[in-house]
Amino acid sequence: MTAVLDRRRFLVSTAIVGGGLALGIGSDADAAPVTPWAADGAAGNEFSPWIEIAPDDVVTIRTGMPEIGNGAMTQIAMNVAEELNCDWKKVRVVTASIQRNHVLENVYGIGFQPFFGGHGTGQPRLAHTMQLGASARERLKAAAAARWQVAAGDVEAKDSLLTHAATKRSLRYGEVAAEAAKVKLAVEPKPKPKSEWRLLGKASPSKLSIPDIASGKAVYGIDVQLPGMVYAALMQAPVHGGRLKSHKPEAVLTMPGVRAVVVVDPAKTKGSPVTQKSTFGFADSLAQSAVAVIADHYWQARTALEALPVEWDAGLGGQWADADSIYAGAAAMLGKDGGRTLKKLGDGAAAATTGKRVVEARYGTPYCDNAVMEPLNATAMVTADGAEIWCPTQDVQQAYWVAIDETGLPPEKVKLHATLVGGGFGRRTQADDVRMAVAVARQFPGKPVKTIWTREETFRQGRYRTPIVAQMKAVLDDTTGLPQAVTGGCAYVGTREIFQMPLGFTDQPYFNTGVIPNVMLTGAKLPVHIMNGAWRAPCYNSHAFNVETFIDECAVAAGIDPLDYRLKLLANWDKSWSDALRVAAEKSGWGKPLPKGEGRGIAISCWPLANNHNFGTVIATAVRVAVDAEGTIKVKQIDVAFDCGSVANPDAVRAQIEGATVYGMNAVLNEELTVKDGAVVEGNFDEYPMIRMADTPPVHVHFDALSGHDRMQIIGEAPVGPIQPAIGNAVFAATGKRLRQMPFRKQKLV
Amino acid sequence: MTMSTIRLKVNGKPQSVSADPATPLLWLLRDHLGLTGTKFGCGIAQCGACTVHLNGQAVRSCQVQAADANGASVTTIEGLSAKGDHVLQKLWAEMNVPQCGYCQAGMLMAAADLLKKTPKPSNADIDEAMTNICRCGTYPRIRAAIRRASGQAA
Repeated sequence: MTAVLDRRRFLVSTAIVGGGLALGIGSDADAAPVTPWAADGAAGNEFSPWIEIAPDDVVTIRTGMPEIGNGAMTQIAMNVAEELNCDWKKVRVVTASIQRNHVLENVYGIGFQPFFGGHGTGQPRLAHTMQLGASARERLKAAAAARWQVAAGDVEAKDSLLTHAATKRSLRYGEVAAEAAKVKLAVEPKPKPKSEWRLLGKASPSKLSIPDIASGKAVYGIDVQLPGMVYAALMQAPVHGGRLKSHKPEAVLTMPGVRAVVVVDPAKTKGSPVTQKSTFGFADSLAQSAVAVIADHYWQARTALEALPVEWDAGLGGQWADADSIYAGAAAMLGKDGGRTLKKLGDGAAAATTGKRVVEARYGTPYCDNAVMEPLNATAMVTADGAEIWCPTQDVQQAYWVAIDETGLPPEKVKLHATLVGGGFGRRTQADDVRMAVAVARQFPGKPVKTIWTREETFRQGRYRTPIVAQMKAVLDDTTGLPQAVTGGCAYVGTREIFQMPLGFTDQPYFNTGVIPNVMLTGAKLPVHIMNGAWRAPCYNSHAFNVETFIDECAVAAGIDPLDYRLKLLANWDKSWSDALRVAAEKSGWGKPLPKGEGRGIAISCWPLANNHNFGTVIATAVRVAVDAEGTIKVKQIDVAFDCGSVANPDAVRAQIEGATVYGMNAVLNEELTVKDGAVVEGNFDEYPMIRMADTPPVHVHFDALSGHDRMQIIGEAPVGPIQPAIGNAVFAATGKRLRQMPFRKQKLV
Repeated sequence: MTMSTIRLKVNGKPQSVSADPATPLLWLLRDHLGLTGTKFGCGIAQCGACTVHLNGQAVRSCQVQAADANGASVTTIEGLSAKGDHVLQKLWAEMNVPQCGYCQAGMLMAAADLLKKTPKPSNADIDEAMTNICRCGTYPRIRAAIRRASGQAA
């Protein structure tokens, strides 16, 4: 196995570095083209499997999660450093070996979704990582005290230096790390109280991954280089669930560099030999019928795949002529018997309402792809008695168990290296990409095979945003203008129930506090072969648009300013919601006159759950748009106010809010996949336009609504919601035209 | 398809590669020369993740055939500066610009080209030159870093 080679390479690179430390992901320019990988076990001076301090003071922290760009790994390092009092420049953080985790009985399994790229401040992981730092610090002090024959309490630990003031002696952390690692404390230290934090909530270190990213040294999955590696180009059944009917390998086998043509048969998945412990199960990562060409270089593999004669059996999915027929099918289910009751308050549908003003409208969100910038890929080498995988995944545990399931090998025989991840947004949570790469490599044993999906394959073989059609009706009180009753519901399109969630819908405070006395909301589902999945803030991203557009329509019908209307509806709910609305509105210049053709809009929502007090991340977004004579929408200003409780790294939070806001803006303006005869049509960015620099206004993020509550909630999902309806509501303010269907670029405004 | 020998200079170093002359420069750099800093994003010149400098001009290397790069001088992200200390690279870290980072090599190469030609770019100049796609939505920070690199207020 080349695992031996890799280990040797690892030893060589660490010898050069000279500290015996596990550097983890990183490239060694002089030694290219081989990617060095961290050893799976202890490399010396480990205080625990989570933390190691090398003789040169470098602190290496191992955590279960990968880095997907949200800075969660850097956050883990920050949590440790808060207590360890080390020099920040000496801190490294790497993704722990999931195989080691298995062998050591889930030693990295601390907190919610411990192998998922997020939740760096979630409890109990925050407590665990701060305790790690505190414990290591006290053990360093004890080791120095033992050398000096002084009391540990008289030793100070600061900036990676241990000092004994009375005798003016000092030692670097690295100088006593070996002894400290062996120290057993009689009593574990208590982490300091929040009031004494010096880093958390105060400092904003940049992500530790950036210097390597900016110099081109960072290793994403697609960049992995191994001795003897070959490349595969992959094509799966264009209609999801379809089957390979026939192909002619002989037509391409003589092309330059071509080694083999292999077929992936879903029936040949071996199955895990032991009870699997994947994060999400395998329902969204089942092998798909596919064909792949393996060649010396990727371009050769891809060229040959394009020349390969292939016929597919579309299967049942081929009956769907287009996306509109799918959405019409979903809309036909609205309000029909058999829909689940998602929310009932008061008399529900039977409510006796007296209001004369009725608002009723239908909303819809389409299929969208996560459009990760790094096309899906993974590298795998499978032999009779082992497998090694290198992959960019959002969830290392999921990827690991999918690889085990595909090969049928026992977990201890499977190694998996998590690389840096070139975008996830949910797409890399289920590991179908990993399974396909392993399924290809299985058929070319003994060689590392890097399978790269083309951009077109990435688009057409997605696990898409769940399309949601919603219809809601409000009867407004003649006096207050607020709804006496809201009835209606939604229909989810797709096969996967876990991606048919009412988040951002039935949990909205509007429907829970009694401010709307009668509520009846139902949910139906239309199973369709096209695979839906986790698209940033699953389902919430659609519900937030549907609900907050509908509420805006109610405000307009009531003749009340949309900001005031929301404040009335939320008057008896957590103050942070009203604060966020007021801050976003005020910063946007709400109420001030605008030129003709411009308008402001506002919206609010909360991820992951809105109907618990002091829970989740509340986001209010206010936007200003201009609509020109051709009906083109230009977003000119965005102001976001939020409450996630407290923040650990203010700039990291700001960055996530900026990015997630741009993500939602792209969705509402641009994104839609269409369908022809059951297959997804759009294959690349020429057909699936993305906003770029020139389209992006400043995103002003305001901290004024932050409540200071102890929670430090996740921040990457919530902002995707309100920007979408806020833009639609602003377009209405500018033009008087209500947009109820995404994407807006396909709607007629003039 | 016959193999031919492509001779070119990459980051100042002469290279000789045996490849199909239709191979895009992108894959020549990545798979043949092991320079993986230049990224594959779309293959159709839309996203700009593969941006390199070809004879001093920013180009999308997925659209340059190996044959056309014969005799050329190419600079990739690995060669933008000797120690990763180009003013933009330093600001990218200081201003926490990248998120996932995958598009950023292309962004940096496009931005470096812009600053070379237009030392004090206006916002309109930035809009025109920076047409690469970033799915993470780091555009506001990229703009701010370019402005600061050129000594201008954001």
